[in-house]
Amino acid sequence: MALETALLVGVMFTVATYLILQRSFVRILFGFLILTNAANLFVLSMSGRPNGRSAPVVLEKGVPMVDPLPQALILTAIVIGFGVAAYLVFLLYRLFLDRRTTNATEMYEEP
Amino acid sequence: MLLLALGLPMVGSPFLALAGRRLGARVGWLALILPVMSTVLLGVLAMDRSLPARWGVELPWVPTLGLNLSFLVDGLSLMFGLVVSGMGCLVIFHAIFYLGTDYAHLGRFYSYLALFMGAMLGTVFADHVVLLFLFWELTGVTSFLLIGFLHGEEKSRVGARQALLVTGSTGLALFAGVMLLQRATGTSSLSVLLERGLPWGERGGELSLAMVLMLVGAFGKSAQFPFHFWLPNAMAAPTPVSAYLHSATMVKLGVFLVARMYPLFVVSPLWLPLLGTVGFTTMLLAAVLALVSHDLKSILAWSTISQLGFLIGQYGLGPVGGVGHDQLHLLNHVLYKGCLFMVAGVAMHATGLRDVREMGGLFRRLPLLGMAAVLAGGSMAGLPGTLGFLGKEAMLADLFQPLRDGASPWVLYAVGCAGVASVVKIAFSLRLVTGVFFGKEPDGVALQYHAPGLGMQLPALLLAAGSLLFGVWPGLLDGLFGQWAVEGLNRPKPLAVWHGWSVELFTSAGMVMMGVLLHEVGRRTGWRGWRIPGVLQADKAFEWLVERFQGWTKVWTRGLRADRPADHLPIVVTFVVMALGAGLLGLVPGLAERLWPEDVGMDPLRTGVAGLIAMTVVGVLVLRRWTAQLISLAVSGFLTCFYFVLYRAPDLALTQILVETVTLILVLLLLARFPNSAQVGEETRRPGRWTHYFHIGLSLATGCVATGLILVVTSAPHPEPLGARYLEQTVPLAKGSNAVNTLLVDFRGFDTLGEVTVLVVATLGCLGLLMRYKRTPEETRQGPLGPPGFGVEEQRED
Repeated sequence: MALETALLVGVMFTVATYLILQRSFVRILFGFLILTNAANLFVLSMSGRPNGRSAPVVLEKGVPMVDPLPQALILTAIVIGFGVAAYLVFLLYRLFLDRRTTNATEMYEEP
Repeated sequence: MLLLALGLPMVGSPFLALAGRRLGARVGWLALILPVMSTVLLGVLAMDRSLPARWGVELPWVPTLGLNLSFLVDGLSLMFGLVVSGMGCLVIFHAIFYLGTDYAHLGRFYSYLALFMGAMLGTVFADHVVLLFLFWELTGVTSFLLIGFLHGEEKSRVGARQALLVTGSTGLALFAGVMLLQRATGTSSLSVLLERGLPWGERGGELSLAMVLMLVGAFGKSAQFPFHFWLPNAMAAPTPVSAYLHSATMVKLGVFLVARMYPLFVVSPLWLPLLGTVGFTTMLLAAVLALVSHDLKSILAWSTISQLGFLIGQYGLGPVGGVGHDQLHLLNHVLYKGCLFMVAGVAMHATGLRDVREMGGLFRRLPLLGMAAVLAGGSMAGLPGTLGFLGKEAMLADLFQPLRDGASPWVLYAVGCAGVASVVKIAFSLRLVTGVFFGKEPDGVALQYHAPGLGMQLPALLLAAGSLLFGVWPGLLDGLFGQWAVEGLNRPKPLAVWHGWSVELFTSAGMVMMGVLLHEVGRRTGWRGWRIPGVLQADKAFEWLVERFQGWTKVWTRGLRADRPADHLPIVVTFVVMALGAGLLGLVPGLAERLWPEDVGMDPLRTGVAGLIAMTVVGVLVLRRWTAQLISLAVSGFLTCFYFVLYRAPDLALTQILVETVTLILVLLLLARFPNSAQVGEETRRPGRWTHYFHIGLSLATGCVATGLILVVTSAPHPEPLGARYLEQTVPLAKGSNAVNTLLVDFRGFDTLGEVTVLVVATLGCLGLLMRYKRTPEETRQGPLGPPGFGVEEQRED
């Protein structure tokens, strides 16, 4: 249980959702980037409070360590999140080149 | 031996498809081997008197689901099995001559036919109720393929679609019923159920519902009212298919299912009303429709439906101990209807016509076939000397018996319907035979006639001969029916040609006279104005429904704005938030304490960093300029690295720094390409005030749900986290001290491989987006001017 992490994830999810619901492509991209971090922190919080425990590197016996599983999951998630973010960036660039707009509403209006 | 008989058609089916390419039309002879083998094997089984009355075979299939290939052999399944395989022989033989070399893809045709036969045999021999359902649906699918075999024609496609939709959807009702039955009784084996009986006392409600659902399945398959409309349209199939699937075998599956259920469900108070009304209504309705149809195959289709209605209805009337003559009726129908279909096929093949009004006088040209038609038609009408006569006597006796015992309204209704339907049936039998074979030969027939071979006619002659043989010598059947009797279902009575001057005989004679009269009326009027009334054309209504359904789905898709992501997204998010929120509120006990425990556990350093991250994130929201937003975003990303460090996750922090840096550079490059005007233009279009509030509310709800989820989940940690095992094993098994690294590389290496694949795919996607070359109008007209490449600079100038 870590209240500050829970609140932080709550704030990040709120902001990310709001940004993603906007019409501006750039804002949607920013929202997505925040959402990635928020989801990572969400998974990380599942390993419990880290107080009094060491990193999951086994050097000597008997030391309490944090759960390595969420970390492994997040490590994968960060990399994949980056891949998707990069794709989004290029997609936006292409959209701008083809349609001359960075706004979803305008894109629908001028097919 | 049983397995061989069942498995052969299934296994042989794909080979036929392959052989069809090599052998062409000759593949039919190869296909004929399968049903002949099955018939012989089943016949040996049926004649073997050392076997018990009911026995089974079981092969493991999906043992984890309790689903095995278990088969049940008793009189009922043997009789149906023999009908299926025996008719299979005749139909394939008929098809070899009927189809000749005119049709393409003959191998495929026989392959479907063999597959269908395997599925049919599987259905009738299935012991496990789910197995029964699976084979049941397989017959539906193969029927779809066979009806739509001439898929070049629209009629075939529509008929196939209708058949599939009706039998498929009612098949789902059967599945639901079977599942309920399984739940209520705790077993899924039919043989066990037949032995034990059903627990009507404790689970009466569930069983009644299961019964109704299973009967819906049976009604759909057997084309009973209100699902009666698909069968005539299924006649778009080649005639051998109609003869086999849509008269002799597949549509009888409903009858089979009702017979299977009979010993179990007959005590239900719903049994008689449901089967009686549906069966006899269908019988009357379809008989009338047969009389007013003119298409040869439509008449036969409606008459089949009518007879199926009777077959199902007579089970409804039956007393608890078992019905007397169902085997007789069944065999009778198989013999004469199969024969008539083949006769119709030959007649249509010879003349190229389908309309009864345009045919006539074929008897002179095809006397043998004419004899067969007269016999089969007489059997349908119930004239003496044929098996149909015995059937009709038995039917009348069975109908009058409950009348004498004191009639319920259901029985009265049944007797009324059956009486009228019989008269109508005599009329259309007469019309069918005289219309095609007697009278003056119209010019159209003389013009187009070409003689069919004897091989094509042979199966029809065989069936007609059978009808005659059993009709004059019913003693042959007594022994057979006695051996095939199933306890609780059949109580065969001895058959005789002559019953004395009984009420039944006089009734029968009266019916024949009225039928002839009715036919005469029709003939005098030249059948003008006799057609199916618009109200009763249920197939049109069904087609309309199907068309409308497509419209409705469009309305729904539009309504959910699935074509516009920006409008669709709020709907999706709302749904997710509501589902998760409802789950949190409704399913977690003691929510309040878990959300706010006494030990809050705030760490000062972490709280500080968390506050900073929150501030920068809100900054992204508040700041107006892209660059400012981006900087705020980047700061929040790097602070997250620090947060990872506080969570004792050095690997994460390292990766995050790298990724954050590269993302920052990428987005900066992107923004640098956008002109300033784009940023200004952004602010000009704002959503409405209420949309704005809705978005804010939705975002807040998402955040709350996320916080709540974390608090609830972490308040009760798992007693044995999986991570502990990895920590223990990382040095002994993976020879590495960093558990996160060994997890990724050693323990879950394939996941990492997948991750790398995602990166590669993303890279290729980005490359594709960059390289996509947009042609100018001139280029579209003249072809590309140069090689495709990074056509970015040219694009920016236009």
